[in-house]
Amino acid sequence: MHMADALLAPAVAGTMYVLSGTTAGLSVRTLRQEQEADPQKLPVMAVTSALVFAGQMINYTIPGTGSSGHLCGGMLLSALLGPQAGFLSMIVILTIQCLFFADGGLMALGANVWNMAFYGCFFGYYVIWRPLMRGGSPEKDRTNTRMRIIAASLLGCILSLQLGAFSVVLETSLSGITELPFGAFAGLMQPIHLAIGLVEGLITSAVLLFVYESRPELLQELSCAGAGGRLTAKRSLRTTVIVLAVTAAFVGGALSLFASSDPDGLEWALFGNEEEGYAANMGLDEENFGNQSAVADTAGRIQETTSLLPDYSFKDSESAAGTSVSGLIGSAMVAAVAAGICVAGGFFRRKQQQKAGTI
Amino acid sequence: MIEFANVSYAYEKDRPVLRDVSFTVQDGETVGLIGCNGAGKSTVMKLLLGLLPCTEGRITAAGLPVDKAHLPQVRERLGFVLQDPDAQMFMPTVYEDMLFGPLNYGMTREEADRRIDAALKQLRIEHLKGRHNHRLSGGEKRMAAIATILAMQPEILLMDEPTAALDPYNRREVIRTIGDLSGTKVITSHDLDMIYDTCERVILLHDGAVCADGPAEQVLHDRELLESHRLELPLRFSVS
Amino acid sequence: MNKMDAALRELAGMDDLAALSSGIHRLHPAVKFLATILYIFTVASFSRYALSGLLPMVLWPVLLYQMSGIPVSLCFRKLRFVLPLVLAVGIWNPLLDRVPVLQIVTLTVTGGILSMCTLMLKGVLCLMASFLLMATTGIDRLCAALRAMHVPEYPVTLLLLTYRYISVMLREVSVMTDAYSLRAPGQRGIHFSAWGSFLGQLLLRSMDRAQSLYESMLLRGYRGGFHYAETRPIARKDWLFLGLSAASFAFFRLVPVAQILGGMFV
Repeated sequence: MHMADALLAPAVAGTMYVLSGTTAGLSVRTLRQEQEADPQKLPVMAVTSALVFAGQMINYTIPGTGSSGHLCGGMLLSALLGPQAGFLSMIVILTIQCLFFADGGLMALGANVWNMAFYGCFFGYYVIWRPLMRGGSPEKDRTNTRMRIIAASLLGCILSLQLGAFSVVLETSLSGITELPFGAFAGLMQPIHLAIGLVEGLITSAVLLFVYESRPELLQELSCAGAGGRLTAKRSLRTTVIVLAVTAAFVGGALSLFASSDPDGLEWALFGNEEEGYAANMGLDEENFGNQSAVADTAGRIQETTSLLPDYSFKDSESAAGTSVSGLIGSAMVAAVAAGICVAGGFFRRKQQQKAGTI
Repeated sequence: MIEFANVSYAYEKDRPVLRDVSFTVQDGETVGLIGCNGAGKSTVMKLLLGLLPCTEGRITAAGLPVDKAHLPQVRERLGFVLQDPDAQMFMPTVYEDMLFGPLNYGMTREEADRRIDAALKQLRIEHLKGRHNHRLSGGEKRMAAIATILAMQPEILLMDEPTAALDPYNRREVIRTIGDLSGTKVITSHDLDMIYDTCERVILLHDGAVCADGPAEQVLHDRELLESHRLELPLRFSVS
Repeated sequence: MNKMDAALRELAGMDDLAALSSGIHRLHPAVKFLATILYIFTVASFSRYALSGLLPMVLWPVLLYQMSGIPVSLCFRKLRFVLPLVLAVGIWNPLLDRVPVLQIVTLTVTGGILSMCTLMLKGVLCLMASFLLMATTGIDRLCAALRAMHVPEYPVTLLLLTYRYISVMLREVSVMTDAYSLRAPGQRGIHFSAWGSFLGQLLLRSMDRAQSLYESMLLRGYRGGFHYAETRPIARKDWLFLGLSAASFAFFRLVPVAQILGGMFV
């Protein structure tokens, strides 16, 4: 699900940076406050996120199929470290993947953090993990706790991946780089990520169950609920039901939305009419976000005047061809200049090496 | 100087890991702390460094009592080389790792740089300064780990298994290095040949109690004593 | 060689590149970081049909690769992640957008093909820029740059520590995977029955490692602060680099250079 820079428009990427950055800032604040009480958290986070990074490369054989699945880790990290620490750990993992392995773009980092870390850590934790784990005494009813760990992992992973995949679709479509209609893209992405989420959920639950059997105090919520006994077992059952109902309603609603909606209509609503051209689309996008529309208009106008091949020029194919032929020749010249730089650089370096050699 | 006076310690109640341990290490002495797995060597080290709170008995190190109030001063004077260099060296490069301790203890950058260069020179590993920690070989890692501690110029040097997992050449190098270092040193290890080469005195721990404390010559030659505590004579004595 | 070992080699390769010395390596990391971000945003801001307008943007990374002595070919090896993804999204454009834009003798170029090519070029350019940043900077200087840009200490330290332990963990996972596959010939991955214990064992061991890591930090006077080797302030030449870069981005973004050049001959 790692998005590349090319798949995003700057405005979308910037918005996602702001969203992810704000969440990260709040997380850092919370963790700083906790640091006094738990100074060991930082090294634990570092080692755990390094482990998850390496663990993402493990091939898990999916029973009954020839293929293998992988771990992403947001849900696992938040169950082990808590949502804020899990979120920061995921940010660090994604940053290293982006910078050192070119897996996901630097400009797209904000979006990637949001799609892959935010839902797994915050949504997965606060909506699924905590309500399911709270209450019940882990010592007394181990089978019950096991079932709840499995349910929370599966639900958390599937739902957070669905949300993440949906965000990818939304961001790509808002960026206006693909001709693929919104509905078709979503129809492609959501089912794939249902399967991925299921596998991820199974792996996560397997790991968490192992931790539960050997060192249950490492799991978030489990320990404090057991020690403090703030909530009763009955209430936990009720919250479980509520969570299940809410998620069911959510999934059902989302699916029916896809089934019933006219993709073209949805696309039109989101991106404006294609015929009006890119500049107009830009303005409409921003209005939908509800901010900066004046700036966007200006940006749109600048773009309209400077854009090499604005959309509307295609209507007039003759002029479009005319501009493009000169563009083609110009491009060849630019390529020649680039090649020249390479040759000159090589020549210069050789000369330097010779010089260093003689001295 | 290090002094343990009647120290007992238990992680869980009624299951003591140290029982009435008393010993003294004089300034300038090199002492080997030996014993089988679970004898309590690590607990002694952790208590000495203040990583575990001393609940029974009294510990002094470098003239200061090891308690909460004196921890920063005590730790500044003690240098501990961990068994696992990967756990010890957490910064990306050797140089940054060496900077960490001195700067934390309030040294200026110039002073820290001077000490780092001195430590690297002393261990003959100047070439490792700019290297990445995760690209070092096992032997290089060990030497660099010692260097990060030497850069703090501790009064007392503590080492946990300094020759573990080293090839013969690197093991030799570490032994030579320990021999070259002046000052008080405490070394724990199962490598009794190395202990014999580096330490003048040996303390044998077993089951949380001091079973023998004497010159290395004497303790490490005592086959009966060693074997009754699940240890063996150093290889060089058992061969001849 | 398993995936973990391949990743280790890749990390080592980046370290080696960052250890080279050149004028680009010596620039202040914060300035390089800002220029790279600016470059990527500029590239992404080109309209989706602006292929010839986008092309001159290639000159900035090409020049820097030459100045820093980093072989461009290394960067293209990393394209294996980016290009398939970009292609998967872009491949639909030629199918859905069939409005002809250009007729070269008998070859008709449609808007979809044009936008797909633009997309691919954007992918390549963005990768070139971010690869160059890391190949000439390295993690330690990057962390120093983030601190210089007032990113809070907590996440920066986390990044630094995580990077350090990634190679340790990769090695452990690699050894465990090899040990597993030696005892399970013919299996392509970890069997369902071992899903939990494989990573779980490692996790528990890592917690112990985190404990001794923390002790090692404490013993060397850790009180919540980290220090970075790179402390030099931003100099005039750094500002000059940033200014020139930004100006060239603005120029290429606003002036259709390729078209004007070509126009002289048409």
